[in-house]
Parts: sequence; structure tokens; C-alpha cells
Amino acid sequence: MQSKLSDIDLIEQTLAGNQSAYADLVKRHQRFVFTLALRFSKNREDAEEIAQDCFIKAYRALATYGGQSKFSTWLYTIVYNTAMTFLRKKRIATDSIDDEATFIQVENNESAYDAYNVENKSRSFYLNQAIAQLLPDDATIITLFYKGEQSLEEIAQTLGMEANTVKVKLFRARQRLKDKLERNLKHEVKELI
Amino acid sequence: MNTIEEELWNYIDGNCTPAEQDTIALLIEQDEAYSKKYQELLQLNLEFTAMELDEPSMAFTYNVMETIRTENARQPLKAAIDKRIIIGIAVFFVFTILALLVFTFANTHSQLSAFDVNVKLPATVKLPNVANIFTSPVFKWFIMFDVVLALFLSDSYLRRKKPTKQA
Repeated sequence: MQSKLSDIDLIEQTLAGNQSAYADLVKRHQRFVFTLALRFSKNREDAEEIAQDCFIKAYRALATYGGQSKFSTWLYTIVYNTAMTFLRKKRIATDSIDDEATFIQVENNESAYDAYNVENKSRSFYLNQAIAQLLPDDATIITLFYKGEQSLEEIAQTLGMEANTVKVKLFRARQRLKDKLERNLKHEVKELI
Repeated sequence: MNTIEEELWNYIDGNCTPAEQDTIALLIEQDEAYSKKYQELLQLNLEFTAMELDEPSMAFTYNVMETIRTENARQPLKAAIDKRIIIGIAVFFVFTILALLVFTFANTHSQLSAFDVNVKLPATVKLPNVANIFTSPVFKWFIMFDVVLALFLSDSYLRRKKPTKQA
């Protein structure tokens, strides 16, 4: 029954003192929040810390959530701001999107896949790999658009940008992702040959 | 000016006006370059949509809730004290002190130079000796208790003020 409750219902229950309602809310959004955090930190431990921090911040500020926007949009704004603060602390430049020199090296997760042959690697693996190679802004916009069920306006609200800017950024991010995906696949094919 | 790719992405995302949508749909039908690009982007769009979300550790929710519980357990020590109890105690002491004062003043014979206030009480009413009240051990303990309570309350008030300043 609990899983059928809307975010608003769970928020109301949490505010009334039912902490297990908040646990349900965390379970519902944790995968997406964690994925978003991972887009920034490129490291599972840091991503988990950021995601945890976001849920605690959201809990503290839950009474201020007015319900004008979707809870997810409100939550993703917290994630974005927390992740940006994290990046600032780590002194990673995120503003120069086109600067390949500031390209963030992705944590090598391939060890987990060593047992797999290249043939067994799914397109989804390559896609995740390519997304991980993108700069945080690009990866975030793509994740918000495709997995966050967010409209361009909602993404704009989350990132504090104009909807048109988001549209242009989404277009560029998709192009970059396509390039990375093609490059990675070509590299794998070459390795096979 | 929009590139073919930009136009097609807008078409796929549904961000076109109806007129633009019709034009692009016609171009996809008639122009091979458009059609090829459209199929390519459509395939890419499907892949992006099928993207998988990462999973945090099994203990993630537990860790979040534990942190919240710890925070709540630390904070409410102050908040858990019902303000009504504090007000009740304060009211009790204020009334006790007031009653004592009223009783004391009511039984004090004031003498002014202009006129003499001389209250004649019935013979059955026996007034307690005021000097005895102020020197009795009960009164001393009462004052002592009041002083300790005042110190305790001012200490907790100052403690509450300090974290607010720090925040």
C-alpha cells in the first residue's frame, strides 16, 4: 500500500512525524539521486556521500517544500547544488565545458567487467561508460532529461538556467555523447582485430 | 539556422510547432538524407532512454535514516521539554511569591507620620510573627531553592543562546 502513496503523501506523513515515510521517499529516489551524484563525482564512495548528504538536507528542509514544483525537481536542485559544492571543494573546473584539458578521468570500473568478453558487453555498458566520460554538466542534463522524467523547463529550474539554454546544452551533450559512444565502440573493435 | 540534426532532435523530443512537425515529417518521407539521419537519431534516442541508473549500496537508506535519527536524538533534548511544564512551574512560583508578599504586607502595620494605620483584627485571628517567618529554616531553604532554580534556568537559557549564535 505504502508504495502507492504519492511523494506529497509521504512528505505529509514525514512532517507529521512518521520517519518510515521518509525512508520510503529515500528508497524511491535513491537510485536517481545516486546516479546524478555519480555524474559529478565519478567515484562511487563520493557519490554515496553526496547522495546521503542530499537526503539529509532535504529532510531538514522538508517543511519549506511548498509543492509548487514536483518533489523530484526540488530534490534534484538540492543534488545539483550539493554536487557543485563538492566539485568546488575538489577544485574541479566545471565551467569550461569545451576544455578537453580539464577532462575528468573516469574511475576505472572496468575491473568489474574483466570476466566479460567484449562480445558480452552490452550497449548499455558502453553507454554508461560514455556518459561517465562526459563533463558533469553534460552528463547531468542527459540524465535529467532521459531518466529524471524532467521537462526542459524543469531541468532549467533545477540547474538555474533558461529553458532555451538547457535545450542548446542538451543538443550539444547528445552530440558529445554520440561521439564518445562511437569512439569507444571503434576502440573496442580495433582491440578485437 | 538549425542544422538537420537539431531539427530532427526537436522533432523527436516533440519541441516543434505543428507546422514544423509537418514539414520535418514530409522531409523524412521524401529526403533520403533526412530519413537516414532520423533513423540514426531515433535509435540513439532509444538507447539513451534505456540507460540504466546506478544502484547505491544496500545500506544506503539505512545510513540516511540512521543519520537523521542520530540528529533527531541529539536535538530534541531541548525541544522535548514541554514549554507548558516550564510555564506551569513559573506560574506556581510566581503565585507562591505573590501570596507570600500579599500575606506579609497584609500583616505588617505601616505607620506614617501623617496618620496611623491601625488594623484591629478579631481576637480569634492570631497573626504569625513576621520576624519568625524570615528567620525560620523553612524560609531560608525556600530562598536557597529559588536561587538554585534561578541559576539553573539562566544557565540553560545561556546554553540555548550560544548554539543559535554559532549557527
